[in-house]
Order: sequence, then structure tokens, then C-alpha cells
Amino acid sequence: MAYNPKTGKGLGNIYKAERRCTVRREWRGFRDTLYDYFRWLKMLGMLGAVLAPVLPQMMKGLTRYRWLVSYITTPAFVDRHTIGLRGYELRYTHLQFFVVLRNSAMTLRCILERDENLNPKSKKAAALRAKTVVFDEMMPIQIMNGFPTLKGISIQMLPIFEAGEIDQQANMYYIDAVEHYGLAADVCPLPAADSGCYIVDDYPRIGSAYISSSMPCDGSLASTMFSHRYFKMPSYQITPPQRFLETEVQEYAVKNLWGAVEFIEQQFNVKFDWDAFFEGVKRYNTECEYMLDKWDVNCTPYPQVCGAGLALHREYEMQIASSLDPAFVKYDAKVSKLMKKGYEKSKAADDKAKYRAIVWSCPAHYYSNFTYWAQNCWGIKTLVDMECMLSYHYYDEHDKEKVLLDMAKGYERMAMRSHSNGGYVNALDECWKMCEKFSANIVFMYNHVSCKNFAGLQGLFEDQARERGIHLIWIEHDLMDPRTVSRKAMRDRVNRYMTTVFRAEPLDPTLVDYDDDLTW
Amino acid sequence: MKDLQHLYYFESLLTEANNELVRQAQAQGGLALGYTCYHMPEVLLNLGKCFSVRLRAPRTGSMELATYYMSNATCEYARALLERGLEGGYKFLDALAGVDCCECMNRSMENMQLLKIEGTEKKSFFWSNIDVPCSDDEGCVAHFAEQLGRKVLKPLHESYGIDISEEAIREAVKEHNEVCRLITEIGNFRKLDNPTITGHEFHILTLISYTCPKHLIIDKLRETLEELKTREPDKKKNFRVKVVLIGSEIDDPELVSLIEDSGALVVADRYCYGSFPGRQELILSDDEPVLTQICRQYLQSSLCVRLCATHKVQKRLDYAAQLKDEYHADGIIYEQIKFCTYWSYERAFASHIIQNEYNIPTLSVDRPYMSRSSGQLRTRVQAFVESIEIKKIKAKKAGEVK
Repeated sequence: MAYNPKTGKGLGNIYKAERRCTVRREWRGFRDTLYDYFRWLKMLGMLGAVLAPVLPQMMKGLTRYRWLVSYITTPAFVDRHTIGLRGYELRYTHLQFFVVLRNSAMTLRCILERDENLNPKSKKAAALRAKTVVFDEMMPIQIMNGFPTLKGISIQMLPIFEAGEIDQQANMYYIDAVEHYGLAADVCPLPAADSGCYIVDDYPRIGSAYISSSMPCDGSLASTMFSHRYFKMPSYQITPPQRFLETEVQEYAVKNLWGAVEFIEQQFNVKFDWDAFFEGVKRYNTECEYMLDKWDVNCTPYPQVCGAGLALHREYEMQIASSLDPAFVKYDAKVSKLMKKGYEKSKAADDKAKYRAIVWSCPAHYYSNFTYWAQNCWGIKTLVDMECMLSYHYYDEHDKEKVLLDMAKGYERMAMRSHSNGGYVNALDECWKMCEKFSANIVFMYNHVSCKNFAGLQGLFEDQARERGIHLIWIEHDLMDPRTVSRKAMRDRVNRYMTTVFRAEPLDPTLVDYDDDLTW
Repeated sequence: MKDLQHLYYFESLLTEANNELVRQAQAQGGLALGYTCYHMPEVLLNLGKCFSVRLRAPRTGSMELATYYMSNATCEYARALLERGLEGGYKFLDALAGVDCCECMNRSMENMQLLKIEGTEKKSFFWSNIDVPCSDDEGCVAHFAEQLGRKVLKPLHESYGIDISEEAIREAVKEHNEVCRLITEIGNFRKLDNPTITGHEFHILTLISYTCPKHLIIDKLRETLEELKTREPDKKKNFRVKVVLIGSEIDDPELVSLIEDSGALVVADRYCYGSFPGRQELILSDDEPVLTQICRQYLQSSLCVRLCATHKVQKRLDYAAQLKDEYHADGIIYEQIKFCTYWSYERAFASHIIQNEYNIPTLSVDRPYMSRSSGQLRTRVQAFVESIEIKKIKAKKAGEVK
């Protein structure tokens, strides 16, 4: 534990209200501190190696794109998610984040070397753009496994989605831009920031065809009005059925998804490569298997890979890397091996979690390390996060028809969509089912104040949690806009619940009240 | 202008969902089928002894219960319906045909379903929740037809023994088309230089056609049409400008009245519960199943904001401009009910494009569900009217100078 009762010093002391980064790094004991430094150096080395070939574009990009500046704070992002962690947990988290950041850095390189704004006269960039398919946000690009000669890039993930997780201040400018344009302030800030980014012309121009989608929600669907108009590229829209639990809707789903494949074939004059695709499917299945292993361990009294390390990794692995990056399988294997050792060690020491919780509804992008704070401050382990419970069924590895159906079902069960669409059972009933599965009696119920989908079930959640005796801790946030609900205000909800309902004492009192409004 | 003969009666019918004509039809053995959205083809709810009732929550006051269930950040229309349902206001319904089109309405329906607002008396009551596709290609048409066949027609037949044959559907289409023809002809009087019907009056007639059994209002609509043919407008125009009203759900004619009292005559109603689209005839051929044809026409004519394919977005923009020209309007008002995500985007997006690229004066406003007494809205419309008048004066002066 990081708190020293004798000196009264703890993790809260490394924050200062007027500072953007922490005052100092944490002392974790010799071995863990050394490991932490090693990972820190390794990450910097990786970032340098991946981005060195595009250094001129990177420098130019920093003056052209506001969002790109946020990526300079990447090391602080990893630090935030490892504060207070020791031993195996520190190692899992570093490995999980490393592979995500490596994939993001490689995507960033692809963006920088293709971007027409940064390489207006480059023939090489133009040739790369001619082979690039641009994808809408919150949609996996798994179909690109069947187009090994092309590159698929989720256009909004780096400028908006990940930037908001790395730096809580990253999205505000774009949200303000679209609200000045006339968009109501009550809509979800994620598609709002997307739209704002179009309005201020802050998206790179990197491809020659665009695949948009209706995923995952009304705001996201409506924001495609802006993206279509901005890109002015040939486009196709993937619109999976809403009521995806019904068998009858799958025929339409498959047709609609296959339409995207045909669109790419026509636009780029290439054929869908089934062999390459099935290779990707195998990787996907292996990734699923590793993730389900993590869940299984977390169902025991000795959970291992928890919190954002579990959730963010799965979200990026499935949705953004979409089984196109073999490094994920490699790192999954490493984590799995460590996890088994960690489990044995915890079991031997009978190191049980003090409180067991799951996270439900959409978490705040600007506070993705919230679950680690809850662990450090109150001893609440977050065993699973709704965001990582996107598609996890296995795909057929041989049959073309079956695999298309499996993939269509995968697209239907994307981040957020898997629970916010398809009827209330996916949100309500599934939550209680997961509480039972993970033996959790606390639900961190994220109350994303602009999410109408989950807001529409608020009373039913309240009623049903009461009936089941589950502690539903409502935590308001505004997804990408910390000005509406700050990180501190989010923590206060848990603090109040723990002191008034559980009558609990914090493990680290310095974490109960501190100011981090200015930090990245 | 002289008052229309049936207008006050129609207006009185709009004061409750379970109105006099609904009760009368049910007493005669009719089945009341509730629905909310254009994407639930109302013609399918008018088979045999069934009649459609598009749900409203007139005279809504507090929405405390619904706010507990759906929070205060969701669409007030969806919450108002839930509140009315929880109060027992929809117990008269024999089925509720919902659609999974927008988040708030979907959740409102799901809350109603879980909280059992239908009561215990209607043993054969059924719910449906249609998965409406996001575009209008043939794959979408087939998907839509499958949903409607399985979730609406089949239960109608199984629960109530309703004839769902091709012939029965064609019969319902005939009645539907008759109402559409009447409403369209009545609406055409808005094209006159000095229209003989106001937007407020027209909205009442349109709402009646959505919320009452059609066979009980059709005669009165015919009489109203005849009356309008000889109706003399006021000699002095009692409006300053004409506008097209575009936006989200408006089921309160008093909102249109507020706009008209501010000097802007509403000559075209392109909003949910308006006549564009909704009151266009369905043209059937003998070449393919009638359900498929209906689905295709509904999807293709839909101007709902949830359809975001590029051709649909462009169609909405062009259609707004077309209505402005056809109905000789001076400008367009884009409105949205508060907390409506779809219309929030469309309002911001389209109002800029219509203003800057189509050069049509545009006002963009948001409003609560019950906005009949909104002083703020009145001020915005008045300012818009003045701005159009100033533009007209400037254009006239510029013409004189030339």
C-alpha cells in the first residue's frame, strides 16, 4: 500500500492543484520502481522508433492539429494508470497498455505519412492514400483482414477518442466549436467533438473511400452528416440492425456488411482475400480466448487483470486493431502467463479483494483511471467493465457463410452498442447477470449525463438494484468534457457512498480529496 | 376569416388521447392500436376493425414519475408519453406498435412495457418494437417488411383474428389514401398568395387524421374541404411573412399558433406529426406483395433525420428548399424539441447550409414539449420576421436604385 500512516503521506500528495503533471513519481519499492522505469524507457524508445521516420510530418502536424499536441503527454497517461500498482498487477497493466500504445503509434505514423494536409505534394503520400480506406468511429475494421493490400484506418480514434483519454483537456475545443455552430449542449460529447473537429477542419485527409456507420448511438449516427460532407469521398454506410438478439435480423445484417466488402472491392479494384481473412479470424479467436481467461480468473476470489488495463486494452484490441496487429496475441500470451503466476501467488497469500465491483454504462474518457483510484483509495477492485464486453463470441474459422454471420454479430456487439442497443435486456438484465457471474455486489453505474440511452433506464436500474440488494453507485460524468463534471466530483460520489453506506475508512486518506482539474 | 365549421369540435378532440371518437369506435367493437412514429406504417394499423391512434400527451404538466424513470436529460415528448401511460392514460389501447428509431422513444416504450401501463384488463394486448433500418435500399425494404409482418401483422391475426390478407391491406390503403387526398387538397390552400387556411387550423386537421378513427372523421374532412373552396380570406393579410416549419415532433397546435401570432404564417409542415411526409397517397401495383410496396414507399419517402446516408441528407435539404418555393414561403424555421439528439444535429447542420448555400433565411430554435407560452420563442420568431422584412425592404430599395 502506498499510504504511510506514520508520515500521513500517500498517493494524493503527488498531485498539486496548479500542476498539469504529478509532482513526483511514486516509489514502489526497489524491484517495482526499477521495472516501472524500464517500461517507461521502453515505451519512449518504442514511440521514438515508430515515429522517427515521420518526424518532419510530426513537427508540422503539431502546429497543424490541435489534437496531436495531446499525444506528447502519453507517458503521463501510462503513469496515471499504474499509480499504486505493485507486483504482477503493475506488470499486467504495463504490458496491456504498451501494446495498445504501440498500435496507436503505428496508426499515427500511417496517418502522418498519408495526410494530404501535411504532404500536399508528396507522390508517396498520394499513393498511400489511394490504398487507404477511412472508417467511421466506434466501428471495428475487421473486414480489412480480407484486404491485405489495403490499409484501413479509424479516422476519429486518434484525433478524438484516444486523445480524450490521454489528455482530459483534448476535446474541449472541438466541443465548443460545434456548440458555437449550433449543436445543443445536451448531446453526447463524443460525436459532438467529432463534428467539431470537422467544422474546424482538424481531420487529416488520408484515404480515398469512406465507410461510415450507424454505431453505436443516435449522436454517432447523426454526426456522419458532418463526416460525409467533410470527406467528400465515395462512401458506404454499415447499419447493423438494432434488435440484434433476433435471429431474423441477421440476414439483413450480413447483406449490409457484405455490401461494405463489395464497396471496397469496387473502389479499389481488389478482391476479398478469404485466406488472409481467416488468418485474422484465427487471431480474433485467440484474442477472445485470452480475454475470457482473464474474466474467468476475475470471477474467482483472486482477480488479476482488472480496471482500465482490462477494459481499454480489449476495446482497442477488438475495435481499433481489429485482429490486424499480431502483436496483440503476443502480448496477450505474455499477460496470460503472468496472470497464472499472479493468481497462484494471490491464492497462496489469500489476497482477496476488499470490495468487488463491476463498471456499467459508458465510462468517462477523461477519467479512464478512475477504477484504479477506487482501488487505491477504497480497496474496490473493478472486475469487469461493460466497455470490454463487446463482441466475444468465436468466429467460424473455415466456412465463409458462417464466418460472415459471426462477424455481423460481432459488428452488432461493438463498444457501447452491445449493451445500449438491442433492447433493455442487454443493459438491465445483463448487468445483474454479470454481478452474479463476478460475485460483485457493487456497480459503478456511470451516469453519462448526455447519454439518453442509459438515462432512459435510470429508474429501472434503481428499482431493480434495490430489489437485488446491489450497491449501485451513480457516478455522473460527461464523457469527454470534464468541465461539466470534474474528476473530483466523480470521486466524491464514491467517497460519499463509501462513508455513508458502507461506513468504510479509506485505505489512503490522501486520495479522498485532492485537486487534479488541471492535470492531463 | 370565418371560422371553419368543425374546427372547434376537432380542437376539443385533441384535448385527450382517448377522445370521444376513439371511445365511440371502441364501443362499436373497434380495436385501438397506439403508435408514435412515422416509421410504423399507420395503414397497417387500420386493417378491418382496427384503427390507429398516434399517441400524444395533451395538457401535460408535471412529469415527475417519468423523470424518475428516464432522468431529466431525455426527450420531453418521450417522457410525457411515459408519464401519461403511468397515469393510466393509455389503458384504452389494445396494442402498442413501437419502433426502435430513437433512443428516448425506444426507452419510453420499454419503460411502459416493463411497468405494464396497459393494465390487466386487455388480455390480448401486445407490444411490438420494430427494428427500422437506417436507409432505403432493397435490403432495408425486405428487412422492414419482415419486421412488420412478424411483429405487427402476425400478432394482429393471432391475438385478434384480424384479416391480414393482401385484399384487406389494399382496402386499408384505399381509406388511407382518401384521407391523404383530403388533407393534401386542404393543404394546397396554403399555396395561395393570401391563404384561406392558417397553419394552426391545418395542423389541427392533420392531427385529427392521425389520432382519430378515420372512418369517423372522413365526412367532416370532406365538408371542411368544401367549406374551404368558398372561404374568403381576410382582406388585409394578417401575417407578415410566410414560413416553412421543419423539425422534430409537434403535436400541440398551439405552438404553431404562437409562431403565427408572432407574424409568421406556417404554410408547410415538415415535422413529425405534420403532413410532409405522412399524408401522401400510397400507390400500389399488382406486381409484388403489398407489404413490400408499403415498406418501400415508407422508407423512400421518410425524411427522418436518423436516415443519414448522403442521398437522404441531400434529399432533406432539397426538399426544404422545394417546400419553400412551392408554398411561396419567405423563410424556414428549424425547430427541435429539447434533448432530441437527431434533430439537434440536423438543426445545426441544415440551418447553416440552407442559409448559406441555398440563401434562404433560416431561424434555428429549440423548445420544450409544451411550448405554447414560451416568451423566448415568441421573441425569436418576432425577430426573425423583422429580419425577413428588413431584407425585403433592402432588396426592394436595391431594385429601385438599379
